[in-house]
Amino acid sequence: MTIKQYFQDKRAKKSAVKRYTRSTAGNIALVLFLVAGGLFSLLPLIYCVSTSFKPLDELLIFPPRFLVHRPTIGNYAILPDLMASLRVPLSRYIVNSVGISFFTTVVYILVALMAAYSISKGTFKGRNAIFWTVQFALMFNAYTLAVPQYLIFSKLGLIDTYWIYILPPMASTMGVFLGKQYIEGNVPDALLEAAKIDGANQFKVFWSIVMPTIKPIWLTLLLFTFRDIWSAVPSGKIFSEELKILPQVVTQITAGGTARAGSAMAVTVIMMIPPIIVFLVSQSSVAESMSSAGIKE
Amino acid sequence: MSKLKKAKGIEELKSRYGLMFILPWIIGLIIFFFIPIIQSIYYSFCQVVVTSDGVKTTWVGLDNYNEILNVDPNYEKWLEESILSFAYSLPIILVLSLILAMMLNQKFRGRIFFRALYFLPVIIATGKVMSYIFTTTDEDLASMGVSGGMAAGMISVEDLTSALNMGPEIAEFVSQAINNIFNLIWSCGIQIVLFLAGLQSIPASLYEASKVEGATKWEEFWFITFPMLSRITLLVGIFTMVELFVNERAPLVEQVYGKMRGGQYDISSAMIWFYFLIACVIMGIAIFFFTKFVMKRYEA
Repeated sequence: MTIKQYFQDKRAKKSAVKRYTRSTAGNIALVLFLVAGGLFSLLPLIYCVSTSFKPLDELLIFPPRFLVHRPTIGNYAILPDLMASLRVPLSRYIVNSVGISFFTTVVYILVALMAAYSISKGTFKGRNAIFWTVQFALMFNAYTLAVPQYLIFSKLGLIDTYWIYILPPMASTMGVFLGKQYIEGNVPDALLEAAKIDGANQFKVFWSIVMPTIKPIWLTLLLFTFRDIWSAVPSGKIFSEELKILPQVVTQITAGGTARAGSAMAVTVIMMIPPIIVFLVSQSSVAESMSSAGIKE
Repeated sequence: MSKLKKAKGIEELKSRYGLMFILPWIIGLIIFFFIPIIQSIYYSFCQVVVTSDGVKTTWVGLDNYNEILNVDPNYEKWLEESILSFAYSLPIILVLSLILAMMLNQKFRGRIFFRALYFLPVIIATGKVMSYIFTTTDEDLASMGVSGGMAAGMISVEDLTSALNMGPEIAEFVSQAINNIFNLIWSCGIQIVLFLAGLQSIPASLYEASKVEGATKWEEFWFITFPMLSRITLLVGIFTMVELFVNERAPLVEQVYGKMRGGQYDISSAMIWFYFLIACVIMGIAIFFFTKFVMKRYEA
């Protein structure tokens, strides 16, 4: 019995089918449910922010209080002093962080989506084998391969250079996986054929037909990649102070122990801001481009 | 270029472009992924000693696997825990994120705000923040040097339960439950976004037609929404399975990390490889059944 028959039978049995239309009460229930669930995702953030305003004695209470009782901006006010004691000016770390995050994200998205396009629309042999490899590769997270990877980094002379930030993400498979799935579902062959008949070469097709069509996916990747690279700490791979990025500064501050716990939280809160900005910027266009996700077959 | 076209045919040319597009990624994959992976498999059959002048390996065959499966009494326990938590998390996460995505897909005021809210964990859930939230044990607290611990601090569960005259077991249960809800909601962000994208790609005309035919919301879900989402469900399913298996909070992965930090690369490689083997089998079975019985049914 197929699902269709099942429901037809069921409907025949029930003489009066209850019609579902959302009432005001339904609307309120919907919002209430979403608020309840949303609280669970929002509370940790509030907790972080509230902790960053706690004076020292409140930080030491166990079990910790959720909200701060006597807020102080001391944790933030002390940051310039802590920064001043760094050997390299803070601006250098900021330039490194922003530059590396931006450059790596752009290169990564291009490499991954070109590969995804090639796997989903190319004609060469072994495409399926490559895609199975991608799925297999998804199973590995960075830590598992840390030691062998480190050996390769040092053999290639990447240790203690900017390349250590930029090159390793190239091997990531998440972008290729998501990209391939999305291109297959949303970029019709007819569209590509039409572009080719109009005389566009493959690079042109990729850049001006495929990329705009798959905007949601590259905005999503943009967000993830930026987030990961922004907060990455390449431990043991960067030694020169001039090449370090902001999360490493945070680590130095946290190393101050309990007395610095408030400041550590303050820095953590500040560090959260750029990914949230990237999200807000991409979110509006994600929503917009998802709803008009292009031609349907 | 035109000469090439004539000589080799358009198919050949297309495949050449295809290879060109994929080349940069393939090179990265080989250098930073395949070589390390082969190394890591090799380590699992070796005794590995890290010395100042590099890594020394001695071939020991299956000794490491024998050690974890027959000698170490804990390995099977961790394996079982990991698979169990996987088995109950996967359906809950999939159903919960689909429900939330469908709710967020409704038209109501402030839905952009709510979408952002549910996606928030994905954005800020990195390293530090996560460790603050999921820290519940005392050793963890001590090692962090902060009296943090989200679930412990958020709502004073102990106060609540003692006020209501409940036993410590119930208090334990309540705080465990709160932790689990956190865990789940915080694992749903990406899934919700993927489902949302899928929902929005369903043509509105299908729903209009079904409304004219007088279908109930329930039928609408099973005849339109669910079939149209079957591809994206597979995608989300694979993504979630992978997340659950390699998640740093999976009991077995946690142990492997511990051993790696301790420098036991041989044993930890064997541990993770055996785990991956089992994970791959489970995922393979799940994908097989989904494509065979769910997707095939609608494609006909």
